[in-house]
Amino acid sequence: MDTIRHWAQLGVDAGWLSESFSYSFMVNAVVAAILLGPLLGGLGTLVIAKRLAFFSEAVGHAALTGIALGVLLGEPAENPIIGLFSFCMIFALLLHFVRNRTNVPYDTLVGVFLAFALAVGAALLMYVARKINIHMLENVLFGSILTITDYDLLILAVTCGVILLVLIPTFNRILLTCISPDIAKVRGYATNFYDYLFVMMITLVTIASVKIVGAVLVGALLLIPGATARLLTKNMGSFVLMSALLATISCLIGTILPMELKLPIPSGAAIIIVSTSFFLTATCYRIVRKG
Amino acid sequence: MGPAIRLQNVGLKYGDNVILEDISHYLEAGQCHVIMGPNGGGKTSLLRSILGLTPFTGAIDIQWPEHKGNIGYVPQKATFESSLPFTVMDFILLNQSRNPLFWRKRKKEQDHALAQLDRVGMANRTDRRMGQLSGGEQQRVLFAQSLLDNPDLLVLDEPTTGMDEQGVRYLESLIHELVRENKTILAVHHDVSAVRRLDGQVHVVNRQLVDSGPVSEVLRADKIERLFNHYTGGNVSTLNPAQGVK
Repeated sequence: MDTIRHWAQLGVDAGWLSESFSYSFMVNAVVAAILLGPLLGGLGTLVIAKRLAFFSEAVGHAALTGIALGVLLGEPAENPIIGLFSFCMIFALLLHFVRNRTNVPYDTLVGVFLAFALAVGAALLMYVARKINIHMLENVLFGSILTITDYDLLILAVTCGVILLVLIPTFNRILLTCISPDIAKVRGYATNFYDYLFVMMITLVTIASVKIVGAVLVGALLLIPGATARLLTKNMGSFVLMSALLATISCLIGTILPMELKLPIPSGAAIIIVSTSFFLTATCYRIVRKG
Repeated sequence: MGPAIRLQNVGLKYGDNVILEDISHYLEAGQCHVIMGPNGGGKTSLLRSILGLTPFTGAIDIQWPEHKGNIGYVPQKATFESSLPFTVMDFILLNQSRNPLFWRKRKKEQDHALAQLDRVGMANRTDRRMGQLSGGEQQRVLFAQSLLDNPDLLVLDEPTTGMDEQGVRYLESLIHELVRENKTILAVHHDVSAVRRLDGQVHVVNRQLVDSGPVSEVLRADKIERLFNHYTGGNVSTLNPAQGVK
């Protein structure tokens, strides 16, 4: 990271980059955006194909409870990674497990789980309120580029690397499992395994995104670039690539623009506003083109 | 060479609802077997049991001649969202390769996919979205998917639903071709005249096995109406006892 920061400083000195890139947190945030964007966009296409948008939203909200739980159990308030990881993973797997064993419609079930996670999170936050300040809560909810450390980047890089390594050889099977589980089973694919694998990937990327995008908005970044790309592309390959590109651009603009314009906007909110503006533009384009 | 299939006391229940009851039968290898029967008679359930897609009681043994071969399956329908940019070629490649759809596509895989689509007359529609195809066209693509691995056992669930005449012709000629290659075909079908053209073995299922034999014996004008009556509790099994289990 020091090398990248050094290059950024050279860029600032040469006048190629703006002054804000001389701050190390800014370089960290841009690196995080570049790591996270393609993955969120790529996974988002599967979230849309599998109709799991509400699920990814629920996992994001569960992050709040995970953080409160971590702090309560003695983890540092700035980085309660064990509480966050454990609670989100148990929440997601349990939700998926119950889904496969009940006739309750999936959106209803996710709604129940989401409300419960938020309620428990709110209750626990009262207990941990003395250990944290209110700004930390704001950072968790809406993301903050100021808080990204080298350690966070390392975790992010490892998480993204692992997810990518798993996703590339399983992408087709995960997609077939959602489009026609019966064909997938006859072909000998372990459909349950691929379902749970995808749930775990969504949960991991959500946890990794909490610092930059925020718990409340991470689900939106899994959804909006994919929804935009769906309007503009004609096949699955370009759908995934376009979604990854849009998510990366949104992350970069949402990270850099508030700093350049000196706007007091959380990074997560800025990223989602940029992403949504792409979606609205694409929607208008489709409406105009179709008449 | 395709496999033979032995069914022994196969039963299936959903709650208190009995779908299949004590079916024992032997389906010869390398032939076209058509399962017929009234709506709700358990045809699709029997097919799904053979494929291991639904839990059942009893035993089903797919007897491969040497080593386990490939199974091709055409479901009754698959749900494709029309707004999803998921093309015919995407669907075929998805079934054929681990190479992710967003990766550079291999020419060999594309050629193989195209060859299968050509066999069902869909080679000129590879760029169309699956969700925007008619039901019959989707069935043709599903059929092309089932041919990808040169299957030894082909299982078709109502394959001609929504298909136009041309599609039905493609399908029938492919089934004849596969039977000539000694593959085993197992199809649920509801169209009596189409089944007559297939000229295979017909097995009528209405909770139990009602009748079984060559088309000319089972689908006789004097029997058809009785065979396709709904199950009325005990009457059906006495209509025409199934042929002996080998």
